[in-house]
Parts: sequence; structure tokens; C-alpha cells
Amino acid sequence: MALRALRRVAVSLAPRCPGRGGPFPSARSAWPQAAPARSLGTSALLFSARKFTDKHEWISVENGIGTVGISNFAQEALGDVVYCSLPEIGTKLNKQDEFGALESVKAASELYSPLTGEVTEINTALADNPGLVNKSCYEDGWLIKMTVDNPSELNELMNEDAYEKYIKSIED
Amino acid sequence: MRARRAVRLLRLGRLPYAESLAAQERCAGRQRAAGPGAAGWLLLSEPAGPVYTRGLRGGPDPAGEARRLRALGAEYWRAARGGLLTFHGPGQLLAYPVLDLRRLGLSLRAYVGALEAAALGLCRRLGLPAARALPPPYTGVWLGGRKLCALGVHCGRHITSHGLALNCCTDLTWFDHIVPCGLEGKGVTSLSEELQRHVTVDEITEPFLDAFEEVFHCTLISHEESIG
Repeated sequence: MALRALRRVAVSLAPRCPGRGGPFPSARSAWPQAAPARSLGTSALLFSARKFTDKHEWISVENGIGTVGISNFAQEALGDVVYCSLPEIGTKLNKQDEFGALESVKAASELYSPLTGEVTEINTALADNPGLVNKSCYEDGWLIKMTVDNPSELNELMNEDAYEKYIKSIED
Repeated sequence: MRARRAVRLLRLGRLPYAESLAAQERCAGRQRAAGPGAAGWLLLSEPAGPVYTRGLRGGPDPAGEARRLRALGAEYWRAARGGLLTFHGPGQLLAYPVLDLRRLGLSLRAYVGALEAAALGLCRRLGLPAARALPPPYTGVWLGGRKLCALGVHCGRHITSHGLALNCCTDLTWFDHIVPCGLEGKGVTSLSEELQRHVTVDEITEPFLDAFEEVFHCTLISHEESIG
């Protein structure tokens, strides 16, 4: 019950806006700072709002499955993505393992797993339309889905506010 | 006046492509371990023999392509860089900057632009003001419809590797066997072709380093010790 309430709050506070170029709206600072990554009995109930790594990947968790992509900051820094090299389904990844690469403007940029888990799905739409990573980095441009073997690792990632601050510190 | 950041210069001279890759990997490993405060590297080399390399994306028939190109007497390597198929060989300058993009304050896209600017800076110094960098998918440095300098880089944990290949007196007939960078109908050229005289890698190295220092606001310090 508590988890369902949590999810409703998450939806109203953190609307996904594809293609936004600007900083995240400050309404999100109302989101509780405690990492909402507690499993309530079974891992299938595991849920987390989007968290970020220092290498600009993001992961959000629903029903125990994490969806991974790159942030708006990252897609802008790369330029137009022309090719996505993604792992096979079933690949086991440790947190920070390299799991693939994105190619843009003559540059191949490695991707790093935010968490430890197993790849359950890859975004096959990217084979024909790699530009989705630029156009919709938080929605249609997702890269892989994976299990979340160690939910406590989510606590080590940045929430949106912390990530926003991190980006500002890089840009200075 | 703020001192320019130092970048260590490693002149590898003429050596097999595989050895230039290995040297680059060693530098990248050291750079990753050292963190963003450490000075980066610029590796310069000239391939000792003919090599075709294909980038991250692979081609439709990698095994067939490897067989066909090796049969010509060249090596064939896959490289973890952006970009497609290209040729490296004697008479070509390979420049591999191993730099921390966080320290440079450059996005990957801007870094590629800076490499192009360094090649353009060299061209200006040699009296080729018509050289141009073109936007994707034609990233690289061109004179007319002919590519003078190809680029392909890799970035892992903010550290760059691979870089650019600039034709000085390269035997351009090696390019006849491929569609360079996958761009049909485009030619290749060299500084020797454009300047109508024999231009060696040695001759252009210092002006290239000047241009590199200018674009990257750095001071290149020759690194003598072996990085093995």
C-alpha cells in the first residue's frame, strides 16, 4: 500500500518531459531525499525514481527492473549518436562495468553499468534509430533494462538535485 | 598570467601500428589511475607498414573484409574508436592525445572539433588556408572533395584515446581498395599532393605541435622515459 502511494507521488512530482534541454524543474526538490530503494518484501516491488552516476548514466527502477540511459547533459556532450553498441540479453554486469558504447561524430564513448545486475532487455529501436538517444534520452532513447541484484547500490547514486549540482560543478 | 597546462609528448617514431596502440593503452591506463589533475599525453607515431583499421561499428562482413585487405599485404585491425574503415601507413602522422576531458573542460563533441582545429592550424602554417573541417558525417579535414586528415576517437572514464591520421607522403593508392570512412565518391589527399613536393612526417611535426599547443592551450613537455 505504502509503495503504491509512493509511486503516485513520484508520478505527480517527476513528470517525464522528453526532449527538454534545460535544468530540471525545482519542484523535484520536494521529492524525499531518503533513497526510496527499500524492497518491501519481494524484489518485484522494488521501485526507485531516476538516479544518476558520475559518468552521466541514469537508472530508474520499477517492479524490480532497472531502465538505463544517458542523461541530457551526456547526449548534448556527445553530439548526434549514430550507433549504439549494447550487450546481449543475459549479460551479467557489476556496478561500473563497461556495458557498451555510443558512437557519435567519430567518437566512441563507453557506457558504464550503474548497478550490479543482469541485462533483461535492450532497446532494439536504437538499431535503426540511434538518434532517439539524443531526441528522447529519458524516454524512447533508453538503452538497456536490467535486474537490480543489490538494491543498496541505488543509495550510492545521485538523485536529480545532486546530479544537477554535479553538472554545474563540472561546467565551472 | 596563468601557466598553460602541461601535456607530456611521447615521440614514438616509426613503429608497427599495434605497438602504437599498446603505448596508447599504457598511457590511458596511467591517466585513468592518476585522476583528472595529472598531465595528459600526446603520442606521435608513423606506422611502419600498411594497416587498415575498422572502428566500433564493424562492417557487414568483417571476416571477409579482413581476408580481402590482408591479401593485399596489409594488416587489419579493429579499433575501439568512432569512425569506419580507414588506412594507416608510412608517410602518415598518427597523433593520439590521451587527455582527461574533465580537465580540458571540453565535451566529446568539442574535443573532436579541437582535433580538427589542430590539423587546420598545421595546414595554415604550411600555406594551405583552403583546408576545411566539415560537419558530420564528413568530420575530418578536407581540401576540396579530398580528405587530408581522418579522425576517430575513443572516450572511456573521461579519458580520450585514438585521434587523428594526417597524410604527409602516404601512398594514397592503398585507399583505392576501400571506401574511406564509408564516404562514397570522396577522395583522399596528402600534404605532398597538395603542396606538390615531398613532405615528410618529420618536416611537419614541429608545426603540428605548435598548432596543438595553440588549440589546447597547453605546453608540450617531451617525455623521455620509457612507458613500458
